[in-house]
Amino acid sequence: MKKRSIIQLALILLVCVLLVSIALTQDKDQDKEKIRVFYAGSLIVPFEEIEREFEKLHPDVDLQMEGHGSIQVIRHVTEIHEGVDVIAVADSSLIPDMMYPDYAESYIEFATNEMVIAYTDDSRYADEITEENWYEILKRPDVKFGFSNPMLDSCGYRTLMVAQLAEIYYENQTIFEDMIGCNFNPPILVNEKNGTYIIVVPAIFEPDTKKVIVRGGSVQLLSLLEYGEIDYAFLYKSVAEQHGLRSVDLPSEIDLGSPEYEDTYEKVVVQLGFQRFSSADIDRIGKSILYGITAPSNAPNKDIATEFVEFVMSEEGQSILHEMNQPTLDYT
Amino acid sequence: MNRGVKVLIILLAVATITLGIIALSDTYRIGQREEIDWNLTLLGDEEKVLTYDEIVAMPSYEGHGGFFTTVGMKNGPFRCEGVPIEDLCNLVGGIGPSDTLWVSAPDGYMMVFDYDQVMGDFTTFDPDDLREVSHGELSMILMYEQDGEILSDDDGKPIKIAIVSEDELMTEGSYWVKWVNRIEIR
Repeated sequence: MKKRSIIQLALILLVCVLLVSIALTQDKDQDKEKIRVFYAGSLIVPFEEIEREFEKLHPDVDLQMEGHGSIQVIRHVTEIHEGVDVIAVADSSLIPDMMYPDYAESYIEFATNEMVIAYTDDSRYADEITEENWYEILKRPDVKFGFSNPMLDSCGYRTLMVAQLAEIYYENQTIFEDMIGCNFNPPILVNEKNGTYIIVVPAIFEPDTKKVIVRGGSVQLLSLLEYGEIDYAFLYKSVAEQHGLRSVDLPSEIDLGSPEYEDTYEKVVVQLGFQRFSSADIDRIGKSILYGITAPSNAPNKDIATEFVEFVMSEEGQSILHEMNQPTLDYT
Repeated sequence: MNRGVKVLIILLAVATITLGIIALSDTYRIGQREEIDWNLTLLGDEEKVLTYDEIVAMPSYEGHGGFFTTVGMKNGPFRCEGVPIEDLCNLVGGIGPSDTLWVSAPDGYMMVFDYDQVMGDFTTFDPDDLREVSHGELSMILMYEQDGEILSDDDGKPIKIAIVSEDELMTEGSYWVKWVNRIEIR
């Protein structure tokens, strides 16, 4: 009798242990509403904070955040047909171009940025570089610099725009070729037509010197700077500040950060070497950097997605972006 | 024998048989290759269309490799099995040093590779810190199995580009074209 009781007790305990184990291994977020937010890679730092604060206000929501290049963010909705609740991109014009009318009806411009030359204390000529001489410093034979691939990253094609706009601003027609063009084979051609400069990126975009390093995304340039493998990198100002880097602010006429110079920026077009995405045009026209956000028409959780967009646009959301060194638009 | 002990033995026997049946059914399922309806168009000096089964029947290459996205999200390294791209090119006249390879997929994605890349010339990165590291022989393959399993839909089922070697190295994710259905030599 005693033995039987022990066995029964052991069986009951075993069942209890199994049930408790199953309960413990369940994802504690399982019951939360999952909201997918896809955003441009340059928003990683501020959107981590936005995520934290939004989830504090909505404990029943689990934000699932994913960073990509801006075009790829949109393709996840329009071509890969994933259920995405909110998209935020580093070029607001991509939303009407790629999502209207089937996948979006409107969008909001919520942030801006500008291009800078980022560097560290250890960069060669760190104490010499200024807004006036940066392109001369970058041309020096012992200086290495990097930028992201214009085929893959908006910061990459914006780098080429900056170099060409510099020729106009500094009235020096050798800047693009001597600083960037001469390091590539096949070459990057620049054709002038009626006052517009068209930069033609070859299908195979590879430097043939050690002076320039190209990476798929601008975020990858950060570690190259950190380890001293390059001296300078073309980055968004927000990214440079978020990672504690020094930077040269460029004149407003060339930094792509001032809407009042839109006419100047439009004088430069980057034509990509091949149509990497069938839904995206190969021409990138110079314009001021404006970030756009929207909840796609087919967002699985439209109501909470709209709340998220409203939070980003709210005083609190905009203040978080500011604190994280992400410049915002003044809506006051 | 005590009745309780008998009950316990019966329960254990039932559990063992159940687990055995599950294991056997899994083995049976793995043993049967899933039928996959997929065509790959190869375009070089001539045009050739290969079915998935024809691709899998070609001599395969196995290596390790992984990739990371433009924002540094890591995937892998995995054990990758597939067909060397050079072998596929050879089916339609081969690829020469001045040629480029245009790889595309039905989702509208395209990537262009030069001859050196087809021969394995890529920048490689350490899987831990994504710092650039040197590499031995690299191969560009059309992968159909990842870690011994057919690819999942999200991973590019049924075939995707992979850059592999004997070492566990990473390459940029833009090269790993998913759902490949057309390879053209220009």
